[in-house]
Amino acid sequence: MRVLADGQAQCVLSIPDLRCGGCVAKIERALNVRTDILSARVNLTLKQAVVTCAGADTDPTSFISMLSQLGYRAIPADVAQSDADDTDKVGRGLLRAIAVAGFGATNIMILSVAVWSGAAGETRDTFHLISALIAIPVVAYAGQPFFRSALQALRVGRLNMDVPIAVAVVLALALSLVETMRGGEQAFFDAAVTLLFFLLSGRYLDHLMRERARSAVSGLARLSPRGAMLRQPDGVLTYVPLSAIAPGAIIAIGPDERVPVDVRIISGFTDLDRSLVTGEAMPVPAGFGDTLEAGTLNLTGTVEAEVLRSADESFLAQMMRMQSEAETGRGNYVRIADRAARLYAPVVHLLALATFVGWVLVTGDWHTSAFVAISVLIITCPCALGLAVPVAHVVASGRLMRMGILMKDGSALERLADINRVVFDKTGTLTLGTAAVGFGADDPALLTAAKALALKSVHPAARAIAMSIPELPCQLDDATEVPGFGIAGCIDGRAARLGRADWVADISAQAKDRASPVFAFADGPAMAFELVETLRPGALDAVKSFAAAGIPVAMLSGDIAARANSIANQLDIADVRSGETPADKIAALNTLHDDGYRALMVGDGLNDAAALAAAHVSMAPSSASDAGRTAADFIFVRDGLEAVPAAWRMARDTARIVRQNFGLAIAYNCIAIPLAMAGLVTPFIAALAMSASSILVIGNALRLNRPEKPRRMPALRHKRSEVLA
Amino acid sequence: MTILAFLIPITLCMGAVGLSVFFWSLRSNQYDDLSGDAERILFDDDRPLPAASARLSITTKETAP
Amino acid sequence: MMSNLTSPERARAMLITVAGVLIGLTMAIVGRNDPMGAHGWIVLLFCGVLFFIVADKLYDAEPVEDRSISYYDDPTKVGILLALFWAVVAMGMGVWVASQLAWPDLRFDAAWSSFGRIRPVHTSGVIFGFGGNALIATSYHIMQRTSRARMPDQVSPWFVLLGFNLFCIVAASGYLIGITQSKEYAEPEWYADLWLVIVWLAYFVLYIRTLARRNEPHIYVANWYYLSFILVVAILHIVNNLAVPASFSGAKSYSAFSGVQDAMVQWWYGHNAVAFFLTTGFLGMLYYFLPKRAGRPIYSYRLSILSFWGIVFFYIWVGSHHLHYTALPQWVQTLGVTFSVMLLVPSWASAGNALMTLNGAWHKVRDDATLRFMMVAAVFYGLSTFEGSFMAIRPVNALSHYTDWTVGHVHSGAMGWVAMITFGSIYALTPVLWRRETMYSWRAVEWHFWLALSGTVIYVFAMWNGGITQGLMWRTYTESGTLRFSFVDTLIAMRPYYIARAFGGLLFFMGACICFWNVVMTIRRVPHHAPAIDYPTTSEAMEPAVPAAE
Repeated sequence: MRVLADGQAQCVLSIPDLRCGGCVAKIERALNVRTDILSARVNLTLKQAVVTCAGADTDPTSFISMLSQLGYRAIPADVAQSDADDTDKVGRGLLRAIAVAGFGATNIMILSVAVWSGAAGETRDTFHLISALIAIPVVAYAGQPFFRSALQALRVGRLNMDVPIAVAVVLALALSLVETMRGGEQAFFDAAVTLLFFLLSGRYLDHLMRERARSAVSGLARLSPRGAMLRQPDGVLTYVPLSAIAPGAIIAIGPDERVPVDVRIISGFTDLDRSLVTGEAMPVPAGFGDTLEAGTLNLTGTVEAEVLRSADESFLAQMMRMQSEAETGRGNYVRIADRAARLYAPVVHLLALATFVGWVLVTGDWHTSAFVAISVLIITCPCALGLAVPVAHVVASGRLMRMGILMKDGSALERLADINRVVFDKTGTLTLGTAAVGFGADDPALLTAAKALALKSVHPAARAIAMSIPELPCQLDDATEVPGFGIAGCIDGRAARLGRADWVADISAQAKDRASPVFAFADGPAMAFELVETLRPGALDAVKSFAAAGIPVAMLSGDIAARANSIANQLDIADVRSGETPADKIAALNTLHDDGYRALMVGDGLNDAAALAAAHVSMAPSSASDAGRTAADFIFVRDGLEAVPAAWRMARDTARIVRQNFGLAIAYNCIAIPLAMAGLVTPFIAALAMSASSILVIGNALRLNRPEKPRRMPALRHKRSEVLA
Repeated sequence: MTILAFLIPITLCMGAVGLSVFFWSLRSNQYDDLSGDAERILFDDDRPLPAASARLSITTKETAP
Repeated sequence: MMSNLTSPERARAMLITVAGVLIGLTMAIVGRNDPMGAHGWIVLLFCGVLFFIVADKLYDAEPVEDRSISYYDDPTKVGILLALFWAVVAMGMGVWVASQLAWPDLRFDAAWSSFGRIRPVHTSGVIFGFGGNALIATSYHIMQRTSRARMPDQVSPWFVLLGFNLFCIVAASGYLIGITQSKEYAEPEWYADLWLVIVWLAYFVLYIRTLARRNEPHIYVANWYYLSFILVVAILHIVNNLAVPASFSGAKSYSAFSGVQDAMVQWWYGHNAVAFFLTTGFLGMLYYFLPKRAGRPIYSYRLSILSFWGIVFFYIWVGSHHLHYTALPQWVQTLGVTFSVMLLVPSWASAGNALMTLNGAWHKVRDDATLRFMMVAAVFYGLSTFEGSFMAIRPVNALSHYTDWTVGHVHSGAMGWVAMITFGSIYALTPVLWRRETMYSWRAVEWHFWLALSGTVIYVFAMWNGGITQGLMWRTYTESGTLRFSFVDTLIAMRPYYIARAFGGLLFFMGACICFWNVVMTIRRVPHHAPAIDYPTTSEAMEPAVPAAE
């Protein structure tokens, strides 16, 4: 809860299951009816609810549980991190600048069109004057993003895209003012302001795309614990943020929660998914005295544990540090637009200068020469260049989002386009969950009973068993889950157990020495289950697509060799490495980089988050760990792995469109520059050319939306039979 | 076309008013949740919401010891 | 209804009506030698009747309803009925005046029933009487519902509604008497114009006060459209009607502008009246009632905001396209053309947005005539804006100017877009407002729809053919370089089209009558239906699969 200025308290709940207006209405009504809540407002765009209460001592857990009864998971967003007044300041500033530029552009355009249509003499001069009065404050306000960026670049002795833009706008304005004072015929006010309008729009689109991706990604990230249930000295459990948890404190961790900090269990039994550390997916039991690392997933039981290290020093935090070090390496990638700017800016300036000098030499008329030189600057429309890339990226990101792929920013798309190697992690990336295959007496009675017990547990092995048995479960008299061991129950008066072999062996001798998990009735036959990993749907096709495109595929896995090789064989991947630690994975990627390869790494961040950061470009499924989601450039939210080749194809198409856009911009410049140098460009032509080139570039980018939508064709779906083959 | 000496300032004023109104709408967070706001008109309950001051008195009355 | 006012409110209302009576009396006395005197008596009568309506309930018990949990709907209800009343009257006048073109004897040899006098009764009646009342009534409904707050007071909505109707009555009666400024859609004289400014100011203040007390922080986009309608129409009205009365005891006044300057002001006003009265106002209606009836949110809310600003900025300068090939300077005409063409973009964005909202709900359009009205309205909006931009181009205008094609264009917009969206909104609103489960007769709604559609189509086709024929005939030269056809020749050629058009208008008028009947029967015969639950169930609203122009 955050305390506001007037003593009221506010908390922000992240509600990822929000889908439509009906949800909004239901939640708002339920929350607003409560007497302890002053007001509750749901934001469907950000998928969160802001709840305001009268006093700071109101406990959010009561409304969180009420919401979960309604069917909506609600997680408190990290209060310390997120600003409850979460305004997108940069975006707002850009919108204001666009509004001012738009106002200026439309009003000046009216006056310019009037002049171009033939208004002459005093009328024209008056209109120029009015345009000047509008243009000066508009450029001063709306041009700031460009002026600031240009000055920053110049201060470090570099040229970026904003330098020629700023120069063009300022010179156009200055020239037009001179013309106005001289009573001249032509003025470029509309060109200057329209230029700003188009470029600001491009910048805003770019920003919007980043914000959307960021909030989508961080929205997912809010699912991970930002706090824990702390057992206070008086015995009461309260939810506190991570920063308030010190070593020595006692916290409670429930089933299906991620361990927030490194702890040691002091009471309770549970099963854990320690793949973050070992990469191994199989659950591991844990009890008194066992250490749990931050980020591992608690599966079945509730435990109370003593905090060993603060959040900053946890295993998870160390991994994230490794990853950010790797990421700085990536910061050296120079985006296409900036590369273009490096060439474009000096060329354009030189041309303008040459034009000026040439005209002065030929005509001796400073004024006309300046006029022509500035028209060269204006006509070499950075519009097309300024829009070429952002527009294509925005359209691409929209398409990708509809395919269920979230993109962090435009440079990721550019990097994905030029990969020549693909590296997959195994567990959680190429594989998805486990299936159970039964061995032993093929007795329907055993199967139905096993299923009945399995349904009582949330343990992944139990779920896999339940899903693999097609028969209906039989009636249970009762059942209890014993965390760390299995499920014990009573069926038709007979005791039955499903779980660890040695524990089941306590009631049935036949279970002894079988591989876990095992089901048996007391003193009856035993049935063992072998858990096999299922391939993620689309995995085979993904590998085949890359192979067909001539891009070698490799697998890096932290799991044991037998399992890794088994999956690799099914997928036809020759280059397999198993038993890799997180450091090993980083080393492998660095080697690839040093050898000149540009690799796409696809992993779920469980033990390869830093590797995701070290790769040239990376993708992670939405089920990835928090670290993985932060490190990856792309996140695919649907189950199928065909998202990977689809994203790659999209990146290639986008790169192609961007190249075309640059081509169009260059072709346009090749026509426009000679015309300008010859002194043939009037403000009317400049405005027309600018608009036309911008619209052309935008139209070309919209081609990315054409219906060659990658449909999930039936052939891509994998059935379990493929795995068991 | 002397009338434009009259019409153009009027139009510019209207434009300026429009611009300042847009700025106000940005400041008052009118665009923060466009998806949700498009849905709100579809809610079926046909009665006004209680005013903010009314809610405050209800809540404080209830939570007061 | 008057007994829903508290005693102080009733007192205030009576005071206002007394003031009105006194003003009317003053006008009657001061203007006794002038047509203005007749208006004085009309004002007196109107306010007097209202006085007695309120006085009758003066000593009734105080109202018991809890104003904090209900909306104030009485003025909305009356507004709807008034709008339909004006529709019937003004469209009836339209049929009459159209018939006069084919059968001039329908004038019956009187002055008041001549074409020049009853035509503006029709135009003002449909635009201000029908359209204006519909806008006021629907805005009352929308501003309260989207703000989740009741109106700030009970007297000013009545003042606005009834004051506006007084303006309409003064206007219509004035035309018949012979009072006119001769400015299209701005015919009423100075005192009526002054009165409208007062009423309009009260309207604006009422709207702002309602929004200021909103309990829903977001101001729904329809409100922006309505507010721009109110504000811009006020400015346009004031500027265009700047005039000096010849004498305060008479109706006659002299415009502050003259000649070509006045022409520019008139069409700056005239076209923006179309833009902000007949377009943005009704777009506000569309953006609320279409999604509400379809049960789905606007396809792209962001686009509706963008096209709002586009329309606001681009529309202002298109007016000079009414003055092609006149003494207006060429460049001013070209300015008008440029913006008229650019205007197509935000207009089609709105039409597209409306139609895409229905994408996936076409079965509802098929089954629900009310929704179908709105869909057809959106289609006609797109068509008319395209036609308008096309006709604004000078070479095209060279053919169409002064012909009946212009009339066809006006009516495709007025009947196809404005009237249809209004009827759709009225059919959607009536059951909600009067708490009835359905309209009295869904069949009547279907009949209305088909009558309206066929009437519009017949009308528009007749006028397209007629107008183009006229234009072509007027510019036909003989080999010796003289005009082949005399004006009378063209009139004779027009006659069948005039008959067809009158017939189309008759169908449309019949539809409006059916609507009026249906609404009245709904109020009187359909049983009250209190909704079983007044909290929202899961709405059918389906989030569009693609976040559109995001």
